[in-house]
Amino acid sequence: MKFVKFGICTALLLFSTTFIFASGQNEMVEESKSMDMMEPVTIEYWTSQTQTDRQSTIQLLIDTFEATNPNIKVKLIAVDENDVTSQMATAANSNTLPTLVEGAATTMVSFGADGLVDVDANADVINSIGRDKFFDGALKINESSNGEAYGIPFHGWLQGLWYRTDWFEEAGLEPPTTWENIEKAAKYFYNPSENTYGILVGTKSENFTEQCFTPIAQSNGASLYDKNGNLTFDTPEMKEALEFYGRLAMYNPPGPQTWRARDYYLQGKMAMFFYSTYIMDDLAIQDAAASSLTSENFSDLKGSQFDPELASHTAMVPTITNTESASYGTIVSLSIIDQGDSKKTEAAKKFIEYLYQPNSYITFLHMAPGGMNPVIKGIADTDEFLDNPVLSNYGKEALAEIVAGMQDIKSFGIVDGMKIEKADQVTAQQIIPQMIYKYTQEGLDIDSSMDWAINEINKLN
Amino acid sequence: MVNNNHRVIKKIGFTILVLLIVLFSIFPFIQMLSTSLKFSWDWGNPSLVPTEINTTAYSEILGLGEEVEIEIPASVQKLLDNTPNLTDEQKNAILAKYTDTSDVFPFFDYFKNSLQFSLTASLCSLLIAIFGAYSIARMKYRGQKIIQRGVLFVYMVGGILLLIPLFKISTTLGLTSSEGGTTFALVIIYIVQTLPVCLYMLGNSFRSIPFSIEEAAFIEGYSRFQTIVRIIIPLSFSAIATVWVYSFMIAWNEYLFASVFLKSYTNMYTLPIALKALFVSKNAIWDRVSAASLLTAVPVVILFMLIQKFLAGNKTEGGVKE
Amino acid sequence: MAVRKLTLQEKDSRLGIKLVLPSVIIIALLIIYPIFYNIYLSFFDVKMNGDAFFIGLKNYANVLTDSTFWSSVGITFFFVISTTFLTTVMGLVVALVMNKKFPLRGLVRSLVLLPYVAPVISTVYSWQFFFDPVNGIFMHVLVDVLHISQSRFNLISDPKYALWVAVVFSMWKAFPFTYLMILSRLQTIDTTLYEAAEIDGAGAIRKFWSITLPELFFVLGSIVLLRFIWNFNKFEEVYLLTDNVKVLSVYTYFKAFTGSLDLGQGSALVVIQFSLLVGLILIYVKKVLKW
Repeated sequence: MKFVKFGICTALLLFSTTFIFASGQNEMVEESKSMDMMEPVTIEYWTSQTQTDRQSTIQLLIDTFEATNPNIKVKLIAVDENDVTSQMATAANSNTLPTLVEGAATTMVSFGADGLVDVDANADVINSIGRDKFFDGALKINESSNGEAYGIPFHGWLQGLWYRTDWFEEAGLEPPTTWENIEKAAKYFYNPSENTYGILVGTKSENFTEQCFTPIAQSNGASLYDKNGNLTFDTPEMKEALEFYGRLAMYNPPGPQTWRARDYYLQGKMAMFFYSTYIMDDLAIQDAAASSLTSENFSDLKGSQFDPELASHTAMVPTITNTESASYGTIVSLSIIDQGDSKKTEAAKKFIEYLYQPNSYITFLHMAPGGMNPVIKGIADTDEFLDNPVLSNYGKEALAEIVAGMQDIKSFGIVDGMKIEKADQVTAQQIIPQMIYKYTQEGLDIDSSMDWAINEINKLN
Repeated sequence: MVNNNHRVIKKIGFTILVLLIVLFSIFPFIQMLSTSLKFSWDWGNPSLVPTEINTTAYSEILGLGEEVEIEIPASVQKLLDNTPNLTDEQKNAILAKYTDTSDVFPFFDYFKNSLQFSLTASLCSLLIAIFGAYSIARMKYRGQKIIQRGVLFVYMVGGILLLIPLFKISTTLGLTSSEGGTTFALVIIYIVQTLPVCLYMLGNSFRSIPFSIEEAAFIEGYSRFQTIVRIIIPLSFSAIATVWVYSFMIAWNEYLFASVFLKSYTNMYTLPIALKALFVSKNAIWDRVSAASLLTAVPVVILFMLIQKFLAGNKTEGGVKE
Repeated sequence: MAVRKLTLQEKDSRLGIKLVLPSVIIIALLIIYPIFYNIYLSFFDVKMNGDAFFIGLKNYANVLTDSTFWSSVGITFFFVISTTFLTTVMGLVVALVMNKKFPLRGLVRSLVLLPYVAPVISTVYSWQFFFDPVNGIFMHVLVDVLHISQSRFNLISDPKYALWVAVVFSMWKAFPFTYLMILSRLQTIDTTLYEAAEIDGAGAIRKFWSITLPELFFVLGSIVLLRFIWNFNKFEEVYLLTDNVKVLSVYTYFKAFTGSLDLGQGSALVVIQFSLLVGLILIYVKKVLKW
């Protein structure tokens, strides 16, 4: 008998030690809470900004907010965008939902469709900031087919085709604005025996691939649905776009590729690549990396065609043209989650309104200059917004072009100003990327690839 | 002579075999080491030898480098200046927090957390399993067979579908609202993930100990407990050590459960969560990621080098046969 | 006497139950409930906010009528059988080598553990770096130095090689554990058995077949069983390294977790996967291990 007790005792002892080391920290938390006179409302804010430097900026905004609103506490939690769905599902199942979530508009729409979002609270915030201050397209992307606000547009990035101006000039090529020019340049610079490649278009079955494909398809007048919600996938325009995309993919680096291959561009092994405006920040880092190079160790750098002046030899084409012109971008939104606690909802509203005040808004956008662009009017051309080393590098005009793109953001989910929720589902299920993978990598012929996609889309409804 | 030649050839062959095994095991780690020591402009260079050695990744992660001066962006300054009712004291406190870079990647804290979770979970699991496995292997009662066969079924459900109900139970019990409760819940979950293998492997090992040795002990007046402690445990030490390694590693590298349970307790983050946080940053971070990966793996290897004596052997039990 | 003996036996079996009870309670509480929870959910269309609508067997029908599902069953079997086989053979070879004395053995034994102890995510990235078609050392040596291949190719992601790469990677990651288990059993083999065999004039190969292997039979059987179960549900390794090897767990991920989370569908898949595995394991345990 003795040893049973011994066993149990030891086990208990071990468990209790885990308690002790943790509960000590707990008491400290309690203490700091009681410092405030009033009992504060604490709201959880999940952000998709996982980078530590960005978090400290958000934390600074929170600290400032809390200093002026002592009875509201905002708890910042970083949740990676790939984990957010499972984290939300777990939280919903166990009544531990956050009050406020920041993430891609498409994610908010899927949360909204699942009944997690407090659409009335979102609408209140939009109205109190001023519905007419938001870019129309940005609002649309966050809505259900009936116009409910699944999210509040917060910031956004535009995608562009980035290219080496010095290479293009030397080769006497036109900037890659049209299908013809893109293909010509991609072919020209594709030189696998020298380990240099023409272009990067996504070919893995993940979101990046759809982001590259969307402007190609739309510039050929192809769409997923018409404005009445009828599937318009099986058209000659779509087929042509897919065919063209497949030809571009031949000038890719070997094998299935995704955004990570942009490193090849930074290393001077690629002429063009599709990427979001977040690359502006990376190019600036590249600039900084260049400054760590002394001229002497640069001269005998083997195997790497690193260009210390890459940033100034890079330009972006925001709009692709064939039969039409199209650009692509993504809106990141805030959304108030339905927790059934009006105190928390009110606190969240107050906090969001604070985030949209010009000073805090610009502070937020500046943590990823270029990547985070305003989705409300009257910010982009202010001196305050331009007062940033990365942004001022590109100049007012280039930024104006980017923000103009933001104003007129296009996606398969919006046709003639009508929101098509079904299209978001197609995106969420990654059907188009999977189709592109089959077509470009597995060697499936074009008709079978499209048939496969149509079949999958039909299964959704 | 022939014999001698033969032996030399054999020896060379053997050495080559050992080298191949080592190379096969560690080639990705050489890559990691190389990347961690390269400057970002050198990443396009296929050679494993860095053009120039860059140790900033290590000093940054280990917090050895000098404090990096954080420039306060104009927008931040403006925000603070224009916030009404903000005292200078508050302003300074907020700025001090913003410019404090000491906890960018508190490697040692993460390391300590991981070690605490892994040690607690693996030792508890081992303790419970030693008695459980002995009972299954050596004692007879109703239900014993079912338990013996049933334990492995735990592994047939996995991942996220185990996560949601378990998190649900934990919140219902109120465990996730405190750090202590979260720790407890997570430790229990790690135990349950490792317990079946421990029971199974230890059961097999205990069964291979001849019953005659135990019988002799009983005759000398040992109780069951004394038999377990003085005979069974020493005779199965290498099996116990192997099983412990397994349990330790499960907790050490676990990501899914930790990411959900520890989400709101930043100060309790374990190494895999911290690594993931580094990975998802889209900026140029390969040197830091590689350095952090190596720093995560190396201490465990050293730990194993130290306990190798136990893994290596039961020299005492020459007489033990099945 | 007879009465006393009976009580002793009774006492003993009570003790046995007490000893195993902590294990049973923990497993029962934490595993049985989730299993039933999943079976229950698999008949529902579950919304993320908790609403659930009974839809009968529709979740099952969805899966069983999908041709991709059946091809992923095939891929899973290939993956599991080949990885289990390769991991066991590799583990056995390494254990035999490490059981011999040679200089620096302690260091080598530890280095070999590295694949097992390093986090999956970091090993995945370094494999991808190593075999990167543009910047990797492997392609550089293959194409530019040795001229074995005419052109660079994407060894890790290309669908032609992806399944094999996943198999080799999984073997690489898991063999150290197998080797540890085998080694610890090897060291308990009575050396006098070998001495006796040597006197009979047995060579190394005969000693291996007639002494080592039979002595290892049980541990090998266990390793194969565990590896089979583990790799059947393996997700992280396969998904992170190359996302187009659709083993069942990856299929489940795409089917139920991409975009929004479909818990009902996921549960149905887990129940199907579970039933497949349980069937196989029961056969194996009965026929091979006679356990």
